[in-house]
Amino acid sequence: MTFQKLILRNLFRSKLRTTLTLFLMGAIFFFVATMLSILENFEAAANSGEGQNRLAVQSKISLANPLPLSHEEKIRALPGVADVAKLQWVGAYYKEPKNFFANFAIDHDKMSSVWDDYAVPKDQLDAFVADRQGAIVGPELIKRYGWKIGDRVTLIGQIFPFNPEVTIRGVYTHKFDTSSFFFHFDYFYESMKEITGGTVGTFWVKVANPKDMPRISQQIDDMFENSDYPTETFTEKEFQQQFMAMIGDVKLLFRVVSLCSIFMVVLLAALTMSMAARERVTEIAVMKAIGYPGRLILRLMLIEFVILGFLGGALGTLGAKVVYKFVNMTEVTQGFLVAFGVNGKTIATCLAAAAIVGLLAGGLPAYRSARLSVVDGLRKVW
Amino acid sequence: MSSLVEIRDVHKIYRRDSFDVPVLNGVSVTVPKGDFLALMGPSGSGKTTLLNLIAGIDRPTRGQVVVDDKEISAFNETKLATWRATHVGFIFQMYNLIPVLDAADNVEMPLLLTKLSKRERREHVETALKIVGLADRMHHFPRQLSGGQEQRVSIARAIVADPTILVADEPTGDLDAKSAHEILDLLQQLNDEHQKTVVMVTHDPRAAERARRTLHLDKGILVESQHLEPVAPAGPRGA
Repeated sequence: MTFQKLILRNLFRSKLRTTLTLFLMGAIFFFVATMLSILENFEAAANSGEGQNRLAVQSKISLANPLPLSHEEKIRALPGVADVAKLQWVGAYYKEPKNFFANFAIDHDKMSSVWDDYAVPKDQLDAFVADRQGAIVGPELIKRYGWKIGDRVTLIGQIFPFNPEVTIRGVYTHKFDTSSFFFHFDYFYESMKEITGGTVGTFWVKVANPKDMPRISQQIDDMFENSDYPTETFTEKEFQQQFMAMIGDVKLLFRVVSLCSIFMVVLLAALTMSMAARERVTEIAVMKAIGYPGRLILRLMLIEFVILGFLGGALGTLGAKVVYKFVNMTEVTQGFLVAFGVNGKTIATCLAAAAIVGLLAGGLPAYRSARLSVVDGLRKVW
Repeated sequence: MSSLVEIRDVHKIYRRDSFDVPVLNGVSVTVPKGDFLALMGPSGSGKTTLLNLIAGIDRPTRGQVVVDDKEISAFNETKLATWRATHVGFIFQMYNLIPVLDAADNVEMPLLLTKLSKRERREHVETALKIVGLADRMHHFPRQLSGGQEQRVSIARAIVADPTILVADEPTGDLDAKSAHEILDLLQQLNDEHQKTVVMVTHDPRAAERARRTLHLDKGILVESQHLEPVAPAGPRGA
């Protein structure tokens, strides 16, 4: 007989209650782990271009305002600039509006210089470059729509009166982005020049030496400061974070919902633990009578409640880890969540939160048990 | 005969809501070592309160409780808990074993507070269970035992740490006549053969007959003392 044995026996004294509590806590921590993982996923998306030495140049007024194509050569002329490419957000969909994914018109010959983190087999890249209406797509889209190389795909424009008709020439691989769709800017421009009037949404600048990025960024903006089209230049991370900022309220909402869930689980666990403590009043009185000091009883009960919280958290968090290993969330969310999973940081956060839940929820019942007057407790016994 | 317990002019007043309820009014009692004392009296007479004071789980409002030359009424909670662990064995009317532990583990509970090794604890448990005649039921859970057997386990738990004094409140109150008889035999045996000092609260005159002395309380006052036979720390008494 040891204290550990006593704790474990008490923990599973009422198997049904403990099992139900564990499953309920597990369900809530499954939800919390999912929420936190989505937030992590957002952060990862914002950081996806980190280390690529890329700058994004957009209109200082807003991202919706285009920049003249003439900016390109001026930017390219700056010392330290390795290459510059145009990128236009097209915002078209496939067949139905629900089949939406990121689609861009880009300088087709800059895939290997500016966006070199997108790996495309050489023969496919060559085919893409050679075909003015060729497209390079992410593997997730291939899987989702059952496309294959050589398929003719027509997208339907929403922002522009332009329905790109392209042939899939290659499939890229990327550590994070798995569902983008790229086709030739030339094709877009030729079709839309009456409307866009020689402009493009953004320029992407590949910098030779990362140390030069702040300088070049400043030089670009200074250069166009007094022009009709002033610019604002960001690192890729800052550019992505703009989008994250746009969904900032969603992130806040996720955090609040997660906190509310944890609060709910504290209340729920407190109820269960109070019941567990109350049904043991006489036993605790007997333990105190035979010499168990209050602080030892407090410790034994707190350990029991922390283990209960921890097990509930582990059930939910590790359950989420396993579920998302087998469920393709990219497919389920139509590409909204890419490379989704529950990482170590989220697991550690949830387990720590679960243990704290046990401590908070069990604190009061354990304290009251420790403070229980032996005579009052034994009054039910004698 | 040296005294083990000395209750000196003890008063106990409980506060219930805004009322003071006097329970003991100047009680003085001496319990010699090796005594088997029965406390009798009607409900509310203060006998359980007196037992609680002797056991160190309650403190008098006024007066002194001295056990084994130590004034336990002056101890703080922590010191009292430590003192109880080594000096008092409790026997409850409803046995109050921990249902999730088997008989051996229940008996071992007081020993977890000692520095005994696991093996030594196990030996003590086996000895205690042997004394109460339940060596073959060590691994039975309380729900697998009869009332009488549960009370025997409770007695084993009370004696396992070799306490100075055993306190029992209605130890036979929840038992049938046969089991009650066996439990009283056991208490008598502990008193006779193991020289354990026993203080027992009972309503049952037949149980009180097993004691060496009986004290009667009424309305918090000691009203009668019946000395059945002299306290003899060594040697069994006749039936």
